[in-house]
Amino acid sequence: MKDDGVPDGAELARLIGLVATERDRQAYARLYSYFAPRLNAFLRKSGLPPNTAEEIAQEVMLSVWRKASYFDPTRAGAATWIFTIARNLRIDHLRRIRTAAASEDEQGEVETAPSGETLLLTAEREARVREALKTLSAEQATVLRLSFFSEKAHSEIARELGLPLGTVKSRVRLALGRLRVLLEGHS
Amino acid sequence: MTIRHHATDETLMRYAAGQLPAGPARVLAVHLGTCPCCRSRLAEFEAVGGALLEAMPLAPMAPDAFAAALRAIDAQPDDAAAPPLARARTKPATPASLPGGVPLPAALRDCEIGPWRWVGLGVRASTVRLPEDRQARLTLLRVGPGRKLPEHGHVGTEFTQVISGSFSDGYGRYGPGDLSEMDQEIEHQPIVDPEGECICLAALEGSMRLNGFFGRLVQPFVRI
Ligand SMILES: [Zn+2]
Repeated sequence: MKDDGVPDGAELARLIGLVATERDRQAYARLYSYFAPRLNAFLRKSGLPPNTAEEIAQEVMLSVWRKASYFDPTRAGAATWIFTIARNLRIDHLRRIRTAAASEDEQGEVETAPSGETLLLTAEREARVREALKTLSAEQATVLRLSFFSEKAHSEIARELGLPLGTVKSRVRLALGRLRVLLEGHS
Repeated sequence: MTIRHHATDETLMRYAAGQLPAGPARVLAVHLGTCPCCRSRLAEFEAVGGALLEAMPLAPMAPDAFAAALRAIDAQPDDAAAPPLARARTKPATPASLPGGVPLPAALRDCEIGPWRWVGLGVRASTVRLPEDRQARLTLLRVGPGRKLPEHGHVGTEFTQVISGSFSDGYGRYGPGDLSEMDQEIEHQPIVDPEGECICLAALEGSMRLNGFFGRLVQPFVRI
């Protein structure tokens, strides 16, 4: 843990480990106070009404408690793992309101055999992605951030950057191309 | 299997962000099942999601939210110590393999695979129904060897994953494991290679965008 009280990736992973093995409620409280308000903001940003965003943020945090033993630091960092839980619960929620039948399926579960090197590779990937995001120009970071949140965000990007809507799609591609160059350049 | 045609960054980002509709998402899931390269690029975009989550400004929860979380935890039997189990799924009538002994991709095992039907032009189609979205339009296609398909454009993006056999168009040759993403602005004319029939999985993005070639083919079988 750093001096300012903001836990870093290793500390967050350690807290999830404590929740998994010790059912440690103090560790859970720290995870909750760090992630719940961010999840709440994130889910609002992705277009959910405030009440729903808070409900799903709560659901995500309950999943963190229940599924802590599924967290595998060789596959994803703590924030990335929690992000994918939020993404899946958001998809489930949107499908539930569209069709009566709710799904328990999780998107993107692909079998991979972890090796001794994967923990290092995962940490390296998390660092590389964060470094690349910092290196993007302000406009490209905005384009990427907004396009990550929702389909509707294309019009939001257009408004925010004062661009015609038709230009936005190519800007998204340019931003992604730049991100790709940065990601490959560091690997 | 040498994969030459991969998912675009935009598609991987949208999948990572949970923005890709159910049909295209399954086509991509089949591709990811065969492509370590795209799995690793997907992991990068999921890490982007993690980084964006951490960079969010704080939207405070209700003051009693944490207490409510603890109550919810206490109210539930604690099963976290149990080892991860494969969830029992209601198994629909799904064949273990496709025609010609081609194994069904793992990413389709919980889907309902409909009967094969002729749709003309040496093409047979089977409707794939997804447990998570009954409205999603996903189609398996079997196209005979050497079949030349009429040139066509698309209104939405067409996602086609080759499962067996191969086809070529002006943009390249697509073999087993390859993913073709055809944009609306692109006209293309796929020709199945003469060595044998081609089985692929296709989805169009959008609910009313059935103007693509595969879209027109499967239109009679799709509820609109
Ligand atoms: Zn690929």
